[in-house]
Amino acid sequence: MMGQILEEIQRVKSEFSSRAKTISNLRDLENLRIEFTSKKGKIQTLFSVIAKAAPVDRPRIGAELNALKDFVQATLDEKSLVFQTQRVQNSVFDPTLPGRTPRLGGLHPLLQVMDEIKNIFMGMGFRVEEGPKIETQYHNFEALNIPKDHPSRDMHDTFYLENEYVLRTHTSPIQIRTMERQKPPIRMIAPGKCYRKDTPDATHSPIFHQVEGLYVDKGVSFADLKGTLQVFAHKLLGSEVNVRFRPSFFPFTEPSAEYDFSCIFCKGKGCSFCKGTGWLEISGAGMVNPAVFEFVGIDPEVYTGYAFGMGVERIALLLFEINDIRIFYENDLRFLSQF
Amino acid sequence: MKVTLNWLKEFIDVQVSAEELVKILTSLGFEVEEYYSPPRIFNRVVIGKVLSANHIASSDHLTFCQVDAGKDVVEVICGAPNVRPGLLAPLALEGATLAGEVIVKQRAIQGKTSYGMLCSESELDLTWRGDHLMELPGNAPIGMDLHEFLGDSDTLFDIFITPNRPDCLGVIGIAREIAAATGTKLIKPVSGIDFIPADLTKHISVHIQDSDKCYRYTGRLIQNLLILPSPFWMAERLFIVGVRSINNVVDVTNYVMMETGQPLHAFDYDLLEDQQILVRSAYPQEKFTTLDEKTHSLDEQSLLICDGKKAIALAGIMGGLNSEVSANTRNIFLESAYFEPKSTRRTAKRLDIATESSKRFEKGMDLENTVFALNRATELITRLGQGQVVGRIIDEFPHPVEPTTIRLSVENANNLLGTQLTREEMSNILQRLELPTSIASDGYLIVTAPSFRSDLKKPVDLVEEIARHHGYDNIPFSTAPKIDQNQTANPRITFRDQLRQFFSGAGFRETVTFNLVGPKLAEPFLEKGTELIQVINPLSPDLSVFRPNLIASLLGVVAYNRNRQNPNMAFFEIGNDAWKISDSQQIAEKIRVAGVCAGKKNDNEWSQKSPSFDFYDIKGVVFNLLKTFHIDAAIQDDAVESFWTDERAALRLNNHFIGSFGKLSRDILALYKIKVHDVYAFYLEFEALYALKPRKLRFKSIPKFPSVPFDLAIMVDASVPYQNVEKAIRNAGGPFLAEVQLFDFYKGEQIAAGTKSLAFSLTFSSKERTLAVEEVDSAVYTILEHLKKLFNAQLRPK
Repeated sequence: MMGQILEEIQRVKSEFSSRAKTISNLRDLENLRIEFTSKKGKIQTLFSVIAKAAPVDRPRIGAELNALKDFVQATLDEKSLVFQTQRVQNSVFDPTLPGRTPRLGGLHPLLQVMDEIKNIFMGMGFRVEEGPKIETQYHNFEALNIPKDHPSRDMHDTFYLENEYVLRTHTSPIQIRTMERQKPPIRMIAPGKCYRKDTPDATHSPIFHQVEGLYVDKGVSFADLKGTLQVFAHKLLGSEVNVRFRPSFFPFTEPSAEYDFSCIFCKGKGCSFCKGTGWLEISGAGMVNPAVFEFVGIDPEVYTGYAFGMGVERIALLLFEINDIRIFYENDLRFLSQF
Repeated sequence: MKVTLNWLKEFIDVQVSAEELVKILTSLGFEVEEYYSPPRIFNRVVIGKVLSANHIASSDHLTFCQVDAGKDVVEVICGAPNVRPGLLAPLALEGATLAGEVIVKQRAIQGKTSYGMLCSESELDLTWRGDHLMELPGNAPIGMDLHEFLGDSDTLFDIFITPNRPDCLGVIGIAREIAAATGTKLIKPVSGIDFIPADLTKHISVHIQDSDKCYRYTGRLIQNLLILPSPFWMAERLFIVGVRSINNVVDVTNYVMMETGQPLHAFDYDLLEDQQILVRSAYPQEKFTTLDEKTHSLDEQSLLICDGKKAIALAGIMGGLNSEVSANTRNIFLESAYFEPKSTRRTAKRLDIATESSKRFEKGMDLENTVFALNRATELITRLGQGQVVGRIIDEFPHPVEPTTIRLSVENANNLLGTQLTREEMSNILQRLELPTSIASDGYLIVTAPSFRSDLKKPVDLVEEIARHHGYDNIPFSTAPKIDQNQTANPRITFRDQLRQFFSGAGFRETVTFNLVGPKLAEPFLEKGTELIQVINPLSPDLSVFRPNLIASLLGVVAYNRNRQNPNMAFFEIGNDAWKISDSQQIAEKIRVAGVCAGKKNDNEWSQKSPSFDFYDIKGVVFNLLKTFHIDAAIQDDAVESFWTDERAALRLNNHFIGSFGKLSRDILALYKIKVHDVYAFYLEFEALYALKPRKLRFKSIPKFPSVPFDLAIMVDASVPYQNVEKAIRNAGGPFLAEVQLFDFYKGEQIAAGTKSLAFSLTFSSKERTLAVEEVDSAVYTILEHLKKLFNAQLRPK
């Protein structure tokens, strides 16, 4: 059996070689390529024979077939190059000269990631909302159940402006503004820049981007939050990604959670990216605290809701395997032109 | 919050490994930031017994010792003050390594040879105590390796405690959570205190003047104390959790705070005047010097602990220098109080002091824990420092707090979580957390929040407790997200994204820049009557104001790339600018669309050299944008901003200022140290573009009949603006003039000096018929006559 197959491989090889010698133009070369290397071509047909061979013989046959495949491909490539060269030699026209390229523009990688996040949530029926970067302390803190003189304010290193204004420390005030304006059901996301007084280093920047999400309706549950962020994780990173929720504290949600994605590099086994834990910390989420509903005049007896946040930089670092956040804001052309 | 495994194990009745504990804590919402066993990095250290210690005459402090090391007697020279015959101390033998690096070698000092080294705790990295030899207990086996004697080192957990859980700022609080999660009982220490019967009020009286800031004040008097170093076990534990060991009294107050969460303070009783304690608010500008020898100026918000004459502590924040426990202290007054969180926080923030004590009080301590902690500390102090407790406890409690009773609907809890837990399951979880729970006749769960859980106020607080201990992992993923069919995309966001796509397609790279810049770079971009918005607490001067114009940030990008051998560029960004209106002091924040370009338009190619960007490139991009979004009726105007050179223009439509563009001035470029002069920019008002963009487009029928082209070249005075000529042609062109396109512009030798030639390609067409040549000629004649009249234009001979 094996002898027969090996003979057949030899036969196909010599047939190809003799045929290839007679080819004199690109069209015939293309036909030859189809005949031998396409999905229904002669080589592929031979591959299907492997299954019939005895298991001990399979590696040998496989190796022979791969060698044949490589040989055929190399011969075809070589021929193709020869024809193109001939073409240039035969005329003054050289189709291999570079094309004229108008200056290439492009979108910033961070905002490309933000667009991707936006698109996933828009596909789930979330509407994109926006708000000012210079915020009142009321919208940035009080209405989010972060009272003055409360230790939870220490979770934010805030840039203060005159007249009680702040640079928004998160995109959560957009939740408040939307709920002030609109009655439930509300399903929104708020992507945008945020500001915290963090000294820049590889993982911190005083200016960063967040996407905040909010869903308020009758009967919204923590299970819905888990489901939504799982769908998001699957759409962003693939369906093998697991999502984990851990209890945490945010004044504007209760119950509150931190959510993690299983490490996309080691598939959860533990590696240097996830510090051996198998999990990548993404951000916070939770059920909207009834106190927040009271600030915006939504009846917490009737409506419930969930809210979540995520750091765009954090996700972009993971997606592009970048190890220093500061490169996003340098706007070096050598960086930007990679995306 | 730092705790150790062994410390926790004193309060829980369950065998868990460090790894299991990390999992449990994580699942409960206590993030373990790191955990490790501090390595004991020494070897060849054994237990030695000092046989003799003779002062070396030629030295002021060295002694020559013979130390029994088990197998041999080793001669060492030692400088520690507590070396004495009979002392058991760690002996590092010749060749020993300490702290992983110091190698103990034979050395000769003052004519004697030392073959080893007697060690302090800090030399072994066991605690910070370095001025005395480590004293080992009398029953320690001589010659035993110190590793063997000390056993395995404890494991440290650094746990992040969220601000809602001040009860877990002590080992016992965390142990309570672990006990609840493992279904075991919390073991709470019982303190037995012997005291000398006495009327304590004769020795000390406590008066709380301001009970809004101090709800409760408890204290004890301990007499005839010996101030000593703490025993090793306590010093080591404090060392592992990062607290410096001082003496037995101060250490106990810290130890008990770490254990119970309750901050305590010990005063030297003999330094208190008039045998009284007064708790009062500070006077305006009252001065007080804290333990760290810093003098603070206080206000009425601050709370002070005073004796009969003077202030002795900044309540709940830091003690005073004037009543500190020292080596000479014999009698102490021990304080355990409840200070109100907000006022503590305000004072600590204002004075910029953050102590372990203030961090706890400002989050809200347990009103009922003060006595427990006081007794625990009293017991430990008397155990470690002898002394006698005088009388019973002082307990001034002017401000009790009613416990909160919460009614929880089982159904609501399940609806919020998306679970199907039974009433019993919920009740069990709450009971395990030591939350007294009963069931009302209507089926609601009735929970009385204990004093250590002042964070529990509303039903949802209990839902969170149930969710945490049920396990977030056990809450299902809801697989059927409800879809809102009425949802529409936000048209502003769509437009913004379309703009981004437009510029990307037009060869511009999108940037992400900081909206904060330095005032020097920002000022030139301020419009008349506006001011910069200052950050009160900037990170650095170059991030201290909000930029009034995106171009200020984009120029930074130009400079950055030019400095990195990238002179050719085109960037854009959509971002927010802001300023203050001088008259009203109102803040204005606007979204701007801006771009900048410099250098060559393209890379040089094999077929042609690329020209550099110029004014008409930037203008072309802006007009293409307007055309793309059908804002083509915009009127060009002169730009007023001072950051442009003469090559500049502005755009307006229906009183909307759309934006301006041009070549940036040399002064501006100099601020960024950009050495070329051909940098062009534009900025457009997003709101104007969005408002002017037609919401609806209407089809115009495409002419069925062939159009007639006509080329017209004229000469006019060089000072006549092109725009005026084009307008005149359109005005005079009649109903059939469809398009006017400038295809040539000439100034030079072939025509009269001071004139320019403009060549137009005109297109005439009609919806009804093919135009006759005469009709076109007549229209061109009219145009020409009109141009002659207005500009004295001449037909240019062919």
